Amino acid sequence: MKVSLFEQVPYRYLPEGFENQYNSVVTAPYQVVEPARMTESIVSAYAELLCGARAGFDGIGVTEHSQSSYDISPNPTLLASAVACAAQAEGLGVAITVLGRSLGKTREPLKIAEEYALLDCISGGRLIAGFPVGLSYDANLNAALPAIETRDRYREHRDLILKAWSEPRPFAWNGRFEKYGQVNIWPRPVQQPHPPIWIPGTGSPGTLRDILQRDYVFVYLSWDGPKLTGRQVFDRYWDLAEEMGRDRNPYRLAFLQVVAVAETDERAEKEYAPHLEAHYRSGLGSIPHTAMAVPGYAEPAAIEGMLRRTGPAGMLSRMKTATYAEIVESQVAIVGSPDTVASQIEAFVREFRIGNLLVMLQNGSMPRELTEKNISLFAAEVLPRLRPIWDEEGWENPWWPAAASAVPEAAAGGKA
Amino acid sequence: MTAGAVAVRDETVEVWDSRLRLHVKIAGDGPPLLYFHPLPGLAWQPLLDQLARRYTVYAPEHPGTSPGDPQAIREVRTFGELLLVYEEAVGRLGLGVERPVALGQSFGGMVAADLAATFPRLFSRLVLLSPMGLWRDDAPIPLMEMVSGSPEDAPKYLFAHPESDAARTARALPADPEQIPTAIAQSTWNVGCTTKFAWPIADHGLDRRLHRIAVPVLIVWGREDAFVPVAYAKEFGSRIAGSRVEVIDDCGHVVQADQPARSWAAISGFLAG
Repeated sequence: MKVSLFEQVPYRYLPEGFENQYNSVVTAPYQVVEPARMTESIVSAYAELLCGARAGFDGIGVTEHSQSSYDISPNPTLLASAVACAAQAEGLGVAITVLGRSLGKTREPLKIAEEYALLDCISGGRLIAGFPVGLSYDANLNAALPAIETRDRYREHRDLILKAWSEPRPFAWNGRFEKYGQVNIWPRPVQQPHPPIWIPGTGSPGTLRDILQRDYVFVYLSWDGPKLTGRQVFDRYWDLAEEMGRDRNPYRLAFLQVVAVAETDERAEKEYAPHLEAHYRSGLGSIPHTAMAVPGYAEPAAIEGMLRRTGPAGMLSRMKTATYAEIVESQVAIVGSPDTVASQIEAFVREFRIGNLLVMLQNGSMPRELTEKNISLFAAEVLPRLRPIWDEEGWENPWWPAAASAVPEAAAGGKA
Repeated sequence: MTAGAVAVRDETVEVWDSRLRLHVKIAGDGPPLLYFHPLPGLAWQPLLDQLARRYTVYAPEHPGTSPGDPQAIREVRTFGELLLVYEEAVGRLGLGVERPVALGQSFGGMVAADLAATFPRLFSRLVLLSPMGLWRDDAPIPLMEMVSGSPEDAPKYLFAHPESDAARTARALPADPEQIPTAIAQSTWNVGCTTKFAWPIADHGLDRRLHRIAVPVLIVWGREDAFVPVAYAKEFGSRIAGSRVEVIDDCGHVVQADQPARSWAAISGFLAG
């Protein structure tokens, strides 16, 4: 199993009660920010990712959001390249996962092709290229692109990037959204024809089919908790895989899970509960649900299906008032001692056949010191129990950069 | 003035090299009048009944907004293509020679105004009810705020009297709960289909073409319009030579809902003149 450290870049000093007054995206008022604390919030995220690389994680991960207080990462390749440079200098063989630049949001897809290629060069061929559509608020409100064209743009941009990476000679591109006379980017990715491609999504059948068809990795995020909506999505994925003649290689699936680990369960609650509650309430909980699906972003059948859906509702709709008990019960976050955390993760990883785990160990207001404790403790006492989970089945993992496949020394030695 | 309900029939016309079947609701008797609906799609309403007593009303449904045909919107890529589609439809409906009256509302007002500017001989007269299509930095049109905001807030943008019967009818959901998800999905998609050509700012350069309009034009606006501010009444009026501007007091964006009698007086007076 591959385990990566994922971070968002929240502003860590939002005023008390932020969620009762403001949205966390699009209109989030910058007046609440103290500039020095913004610098500290951002620099801490870089430092913590590097801390994770040193502690023995297989990879680090970041993603893109604009005009947001919960993830100040308008261009994640900037952040990733800083970590990649430092990791290279220290001889840390971590994969660099950008989950990534939003292909349905960008007005300049060739820039993504260039940046990813550059990052693959900087990291010595350790890039995992995320190809997300982009959230509706980001693509349709922040970038102000017509919602109904989001997926059309996504598909054209993906085709263009893949061709720009692999076509040996300059070519003309007469797309609907992009037109170029001579596409000939420098550099090209070290990994040819392209770095591993991971696609984050909410698990609609169309997306899953597309991912399996193209032999990419599906990334699911735990905001609703693996117990609630997770099961439906994973079952659908493996059913579709079987139907389409794909194997049950767990490395086809990546999952992002929020985790907080301390010496004991009691101490974990005491140390992390306030930060987790604040994180969900002021972050995801403060994105208006209407901003997640600007009209035209979702097909009418999908909207109707959502409105008619019965069965367990995820936590996402209740985030604004989320309590620690709800967060833990739904497993939106897995919190506790190393034993508690490792056994809960191991259970759902095995059940859902997850080969690539991303753990998010910093949340909202959590300070750097506590975050680095979470990172160190997870790396020392949880990670070694997770890493061998799929070894006995003997699967190859072609969706991991070859240059990052050697087991890093820190992890091989193990501190546990 | 009240109007009895008239019989409304559906017709489809094939346009755009047979890639599109445009759905048109037709009612009434008399010379042709084309109605271009606003962002949420076509809703048959008392104003159209009133018009149908003097005209044959043709109300095309914006591509993609007709139930059962959501993907039709994919066939129209740009606002320029949308204008060509409607120009073809006028011909296919057999109205080319007669030169119909055009009445456009809000988003539909932008469509009608641009059709009249692009094809100066297409219509005989033009009525614009608080049309979109222009932009002033000092009078921003809160399209993004309204469309991505809470549905409960939408009436504040649209009506001076959000609790009037007409305003309530405009946002009513089906009585049968089983039909509500379908209705919400349809109305949401409709807005996606129309805003495709209005997002984030509905400015396709109409200000540079309005001078080409060469037919009598009536511009009707509510003084309290909280969606497309009344400042735009003057902008349209000053750019279209000989146009008449009627600003109605105590009236929001949907003029015929907030002030049905005064709106009808302005419209019918102009059409009779």
